[in-house]
Amino acid sequence: MKPAEVSTPSDREVLIERSFDAPVDLVWQAYTDPALMRRWLTAMPGWSMPVCEMTTDVGGKYRWRWRDNESGQEFGFTGEMLEVALHSKIVHTQIYDPGDGEFGSMGGEPSIITVTFNETNGITNVTTSIKYASKADRDAAISTGMTEGMEMSYTALDGVLAG
Amino acid sequence: MKRDIFQAIADPTRRAIIALIAIQAMTPNAIAENFHTTRQAVSKHLRILTECELVTTEQKGREIYYLLEIEKMKEIDKWLEQYRQIWETRFKQLEDVLAKIKKQKRKK
Repeated sequence: MKPAEVSTPSDREVLIERSFDAPVDLVWQAYTDPALMRRWLTAMPGWSMPVCEMTTDVGGKYRWRWRDNESGQEFGFTGEMLEVALHSKIVHTQIYDPGDGEFGSMGGEPSIITVTFNETNGITNVTTSIKYASKADRDAAISTGMTEGMEMSYTALDGVLAG
Repeated sequence: MKRDIFQAIADPTRRAIIALIAIQAMTPNAIAENFHTTRQAVSKHLRILTECELVTTEQKGREIYYLLEIEKMKEIDKWLEQYRQIWETRFKQLEDVLAKIKKQKRKK
């Protein structure tokens, strides 16, 4: 499947889209079963996920925490499930939990994460929208919002380097 | 330090300034001509970009020219790429998990 596409529909939002070669019930399972989640949510070599609590109850809390095995440094996310529609949509709040690491504060206000699942002929398209409480929060969370401007700069840079 | 840079280029005017001086070094006046904001506002943006070491200045005769620090830009791109890679690494792992549970289901 094609790599993830990252875009910025507004100055507070980041949208990530990706399709998977699997029916929606399996993708849903991978997104909601902690044992399965652990197997793909760790994305950095040398990191583990000591805490992976998940719930599909509206109003329930989830907690994810990652750990750098070497330094013991931890960080994570926690939040509340706002909306759960089986095989189609999960909406939850997200608060950054800095652990003892220096990953930067994302402000006190939670972000709102909306994950939607759409199956067409056995292919499931997953969109993840991250809506930050403020523009500053988004910028703090490693601004992907500049992608557009960066492209501009890079097209220009390419020209300079080629010339 | 990294966060400062990201905040610096999260601003649309500053991104536009970067795009302009990526093509050629420019004087503050020439840069300001491209914007509807005041000269002072442009100066403030240039100061922030300078503080983040994204741009440097060069004196040519009586004029000061602003130049883009290409190496610094590359550093940022590397950082952004890391972010993209984290998502894509996760998703590839998810693909593996899905392929495995798909197989298990078929066996049943």
